[in-house]
Amino acid sequence: MYTLGVDIGSTTAKAVILENGERIVASSIIIATVGTSGVQNAVTEVLDKSGLRMEDMTAVVATGYGRQTYEQADYQISELSCHAIGAHFVFPDVHTVIDIGGQDAKVLSLNERGQLANFAMNDKCAAGTGRFLDVMASILNLKISDLEKEAAKATEPAQISSTCTVFAESEVISQLANGVKIPDVVAGICSSVASRVASLVRRVGVQEKVCMTGGVAQNGGVRLALEKELGVPILYDDKAQLMGALGASLYAFNKENKKNNT
Amino acid sequence: MTSKEIFAKLHEVAFNPKQQLNQYLADGKKVVLVTYYTPNEIIHSMGLVPMGVWGADIQLNQSKKYFPAFICSIMQSILELGINGTYKGASALVVPSLCDSLKCIGQNWKYAVKDIPFIPMSYPQNRKPDYGKRFTKAGYERVISDLEAITGAHFSDDNLRVSNHIYNEHNAVMREFAEVASEYEVSAQERSDVFKSAWFMLPEEHTTLVKELIERLKEGPKDSRKVRVLVSGILADAPQLLELFEKYGIKVAFDDVCDESRQYKKDVPETIQNPMDGLVEKFCSMDDDTLLYDADKKRVDYIVTEAQKHHAEGVIVLMTKFCDPEEFDYVPIKRACEKAGLHQVNIEVDRQMVNYEQAATQLEAFSELF
Ligand code: SF4
Repeated sequence: MYTLGVDIGSTTAKAVILENGERIVASSIIIATVGTSGVQNAVTEVLDKSGLRMEDMTAVVATGYGRQTYEQADYQISELSCHAIGAHFVFPDVHTVIDIGGQDAKVLSLNERGQLANFAMNDKCAAGTGRFLDVMASILNLKISDLEKEAAKATEPAQISSTCTVFAESEVISQLANGVKIPDVVAGICSSVASRVASLVRRVGVQEKVCMTGGVAQNGGVRLALEKELGVPILYDDKAQLMGALGASLYAFNKENKKNNT
Repeated sequence: MTSKEIFAKLHEVAFNPKQQLNQYLADGKKVVLVTYYTPNEIIHSMGLVPMGVWGADIQLNQSKKYFPAFICSIMQSILELGINGTYKGASALVVPSLCDSLKCIGQNWKYAVKDIPFIPMSYPQNRKPDYGKRFTKAGYERVISDLEAITGAHFSDDNLRVSNHIYNEHNAVMREFAEVASEYEVSAQERSDVFKSAWFMLPEEHTTLVKELIERLKEGPKDSRKVRVLVSGILADAPQLLELFEKYGIKVAFDDVCDESRQYKKDVPETIQNPMDGLVEKFCSMDDDTLLYDADKKRVDYIVTEAQKHHAEGVIVLMTKFCDPEEFDYVPIKRACEKAGLHQVNIEVDRQMVNYEQAATQLEAFSELF
């Protein structure tokens, strides 16, 4: 049985095809804002890669910010549940999932069976999200993917406010004006995201093992800063960004499997 | 009338308070604006119509001149509506200083809304001892003398006795409605309309309608939704939010919402001979409320107990942005829910909410926990 999970995030569309809820057949990530053709492109790409057709999919599940807009979905579920399912699949003994996406941050607490038991989401502010990093990278004229490298070169990380993106932006500018080196500013930015997210994690409770999912998880600078802030190791897998789509695909499989067994 | 017809009527009232105000004025009545725990019985007994003010989901423009940005939007929108003339025709506004935001509305109101006099009142923090009761009574007497001076209406003990009884009856009907709405099929919007409309109608008129509604509901089907919650907060009236409750199959099994059930918990003891003393006793016996001094945070146990009593397995805290009293209470509520095995979620709301996407994700995920 093949199942398709589609995660329509605010800045990227992700798709994963699973075989029998066990093997990832293909995956795709397309950078595109929600409401555009990004999701269709992600689905086309994942089908092309797998050599399968839409008709081969037993069930399709949509998740993410744009989940309501994807008409081909058989079911829709929240990205929180999907990240929990996906993370449990990749790290069976994980209890805390930190998902930082393009415009929000979520912390999930999983019970012994890997089910979502509690969660917290950031308030309506870009601080502590992928958007914050985008803004900061553009001020520094860096690519998002360069942030990790730059942060690693820091000798004296700068202090950057974690309260508000707008305040932080002017802080970064004045730090640069004061001659603070770019790597130190970047490390400060990563710590700022980490300290904001850490307070969200503490709201739910830090229960090991902890993993990170979502696009920002790819940034080693933020991961490292978060490990320092929370005092626990943070698991990471290169499928971090696909975790929602993977969870959606697994959900589809479990749902169909249950149907077939009753 | 059928239940649908009664709900439609109450919905109409809930969404058109201005029309209600104009109707009362056209009938030659004087309207007094009231809010958190005002002595509505007194106002009613003087032949005046108490009408609730809880702000509105509007753009704030002029009120920003008077308030800092970090103040709850309920207060800000009440002032905005006062300035833009929405309350035109009302005789007075009575506001007790129960929180820091309520404390500072008076000075701004007096300056910005010249045509509607402001009647301040204070409640004691320690309301149980005798001195607390005397303080409460003095506060009520101040309201009476201001109302007499502003409206020309007169106060009498006999009329207060009658009004106390009318309000007690309304309280009982509203409590019964909350129980019936917990058991039978009632949507979140319908439930909200019943509570909201109560603020814009005379209690005797509202009692008649709600009594009939209760009878009709009992003839209908029982609710079978799996996700039953207790909703807590200052307000829970945004239609977009209530729609999400339906969308995700969430049933409001009970509430601890300030403009809903919290208003109807206590009656005036009619056995107390002096009706004013009875009214004082009502306020002083009130408990389990964010706005009423509660050093032991008994409200937390109240929420857990009520949730369990109403077979709710979750608590949704609708946190009004910048409402410090509610924010202080959240941590113990969260801990108590976790200890009692209740799912809980904190959703930030305010009067200027245009995007409900984050609330939708939270509610959807919350419903998936069950
Ligand atoms: S109790 Fe909270 S919501 Fe109500 S006026 Fe005070 S601060 Fe505002």
